[in-house]
Amino acid sequence: MGIWNKSTIALGVAALMSSSVWAQDKPFAGVELKMLGIGDTSVTRVAPLVGEFEALTGIKVQIDQLPYPGLIDKIIVESSSDSPTYQLLWIDSPWVGLLGEAGALEDLTSRAKRDAAEIGLDDIVPIQLQENTWQGKLLAFPASGMTWLQQYRADLLENPDEQANFKKKYGYDLAPAKTWIQYRDIAEFFTRKKGDLAGGKPLENDLYGVSQSYSRVQGAITHDYFPFMRSFGGDYWDPKTGLCAMTGEPHIKAAEYMQSLIPFNPPDYLGLMWDIQSGFMERGEAAEAAYWSVRSVRLTNPEEAVLAKIGKAGFAANPESDAGPQPTYTGTLGFAVNAKSQDKEKDAAWEFIKWATSEKLMRRFADEGKGVSQFRKSILGDAKLQEKYPYYKVLLDSQVNARRRIFHPFYQAVEENFGVELSKYMAGETATAKEALTTACNAVNTQLQMFSVEQRLRWINDAPAEVLKK
Amino acid sequence: MKHTVSRDRRIALVFLLPAVVILFVTTIYPMLYALWLSFRSYDLSKPFIPRVFVGVANYVEVLSSPAFLHALLTTFKLMAMTLSVQVVLGVGIALLVTQKLPGMAVVRTLLLIPMMISPVIVGLVWLFLYFPELGYLNYFLSLVGIGPVAWITSTGWALTAIAIADIWQWTPFFMMGTAAALQSLSPEPYEAARIDGNSRFDVFRYITLPQLKPVIISLLFLRAIDAFKIYDIIFVLTKGGPADATEVISLYIYRQSFTFWRMGVGAAASFVSLIIITVFITFFFRSLQRSQAALAR
Repeated sequence: MGIWNKSTIALGVAALMSSSVWAQDKPFAGVELKMLGIGDTSVTRVAPLVGEFEALTGIKVQIDQLPYPGLIDKIIVESSSDSPTYQLLWIDSPWVGLLGEAGALEDLTSRAKRDAAEIGLDDIVPIQLQENTWQGKLLAFPASGMTWLQQYRADLLENPDEQANFKKKYGYDLAPAKTWIQYRDIAEFFTRKKGDLAGGKPLENDLYGVSQSYSRVQGAITHDYFPFMRSFGGDYWDPKTGLCAMTGEPHIKAAEYMQSLIPFNPPDYLGLMWDIQSGFMERGEAAEAAYWSVRSVRLTNPEEAVLAKIGKAGFAANPESDAGPQPTYTGTLGFAVNAKSQDKEKDAAWEFIKWATSEKLMRRFADEGKGVSQFRKSILGDAKLQEKYPYYKVLLDSQVNARRRIFHPFYQAVEENFGVELSKYMAGETATAKEALTTACNAVNTQLQMFSVEQRLRWINDAPAEVLKK
Repeated sequence: MKHTVSRDRRIALVFLLPAVVILFVTTIYPMLYALWLSFRSYDLSKPFIPRVFVGVANYVEVLSSPAFLHALLTTFKLMAMTLSVQVVLGVGIALLVTQKLPGMAVVRTLLLIPMMISPVIVGLVWLFLYFPELGYLNYFLSLVGIGPVAWITSTGWALTAIAIADIWQWTPFFMMGTAAALQSLSPEPYEAARIDGNSRFDVFRYITLPQLKPVIISLLFLRAIDAFKIYDIIFVLTKGGPADATEVISLYIYRQSFTFWRMGVGAAASFVSLIIITVFITFFFRSLQRSQAALAR
């Protein structure tokens, strides 16, 4: 055997050995994944870092970012295809029932149990896991945990002159609202015109007392109405029949309350969707907003919100109605695996989810000041981070007594019908809240009545996440 | 001889075949499939709902739906707003651009640009103009102390805002057709009218307009069909809102098919709207033909 032959064999053996080490280190090397995601914090933060994940695992991930309206439609089309383009799906928690019942999402329960220590399962706020379950199965993993909370211009509410004037007018101290009546008073008080004084400075733009969602597009108005409705003591379903029951007194009160806030909202209130609504707070043009914490982080970042430069954002748990304290209204933005993906892709997708939602990465986001709305107790409870992000404490404390958001296979029918009918009521096209809610409920019930009571009751009952069982 | 004829027919068939196949694949089969779908319960997002034959249930649901009737009414309202203005403006501009003045050829070409732009782009252009907080239109209005107007976010303005965008895009269609017709008119009646000392308005009313009528009717026919199907601009500007102020038939069908995923109901709504537009157009043009015939007598 010549020297060349020996060398060739030695090189071959070395190559085989190194590839075997490679295979052990990176069992999914070469797998390519595509993610259907949203162009918002839960994805935009992680998207620029996928190269780091590829270097770590050899898995290549491409993330397509789409706007929220229409995203669920694309996921449904994707999940009805036998050869999916996307293995990873971004999920808003109310979609879990819809996609879960259709069998579109991979059950992550066994993987989460197997890797419980690695993913820090105990570190996750329990309701955030529950948000991602359907019939007890974990179908998505939290990437951003949300509550519907109160955001306000702390610089204005803490201003001594404003406080004195407020007390003179309303007879009580100006502070973050404890009741929805106070919330409306504050909105009325701070509704001012360009050139008026606010916090001792002349306003460069109109200041609106409040900004809430009233747009019908993708049911945006329901994303504010449902939390209001629950805060007024209402529920979605009749516990005996499983049919839509959003026509009672609390439901009407909530709709009427939302309508009473209109004079203090921007004049184009019927066009207010999430990003437009939160834009008013970010630009410092609204005094307060009851809104999802998903964008709270932007309010504290001067690179993303004018408010962080010209004033100061404050955060508090939501006010109460005359129904008394109600559980916090939560939501989760999660990452899921397309059930129609190939097995190796599913496992690789789970690796990505573990990495993208890891405590290490979440803490890094928080340290860099560009965090997502967090869902890990260790991060939300970190004293230093709480100082940096005042809403962390609100998020952590308020989720002790929390109840998950709507979850139902007919969620889209609920969102769309209530979106249109409530928007018509707010525009003054429908005379009463009762009429609007009854029309919307009837439209949903027309579809639900074709199913047995047992089936409907199964859909409305929240089975505890199996991964939470000890 | 006989042999040659049958051979010619065979060759003709061979040449026709690709067109027939394409027509079948792209038009006839989808239409038949949609018709089949319209009699079935078919929810794409809920595979657990049995996909079964439901007879005319989907048609009954569509026809008894207040939302469908509202969408139908909104569609006709929008058609009336846009077509009437487009005809008047189109004919008026055509009369101007057919004058023998320098630079008219360039003006004619420039005026055609809106028609050549994709409706989605037109929607986006107008979105920038209408945008409530940052739109150019409100900015310019504010310079003269007007506004701000909630163009696309108030139920009072939204349909008008859509109509303005549609008029901007499709007036050139009437202008182009009418201008072509004007240039082909015989000069003799005009010379006779001039000798008789008729006013310009009388010339237009009694000579030009009667000669243009068949062209205008044809243009109206084509635009009416197109206007009935309006979708893109509305989807970009308002998505049917605010509330249901701009929800036209196409948006209703879209919502049924791609928001509720009830493909059967969406297909039924499509066929109902097809029948309605066919009946409407037939009735409209028969009555126009009758009035034309009466005028001729």
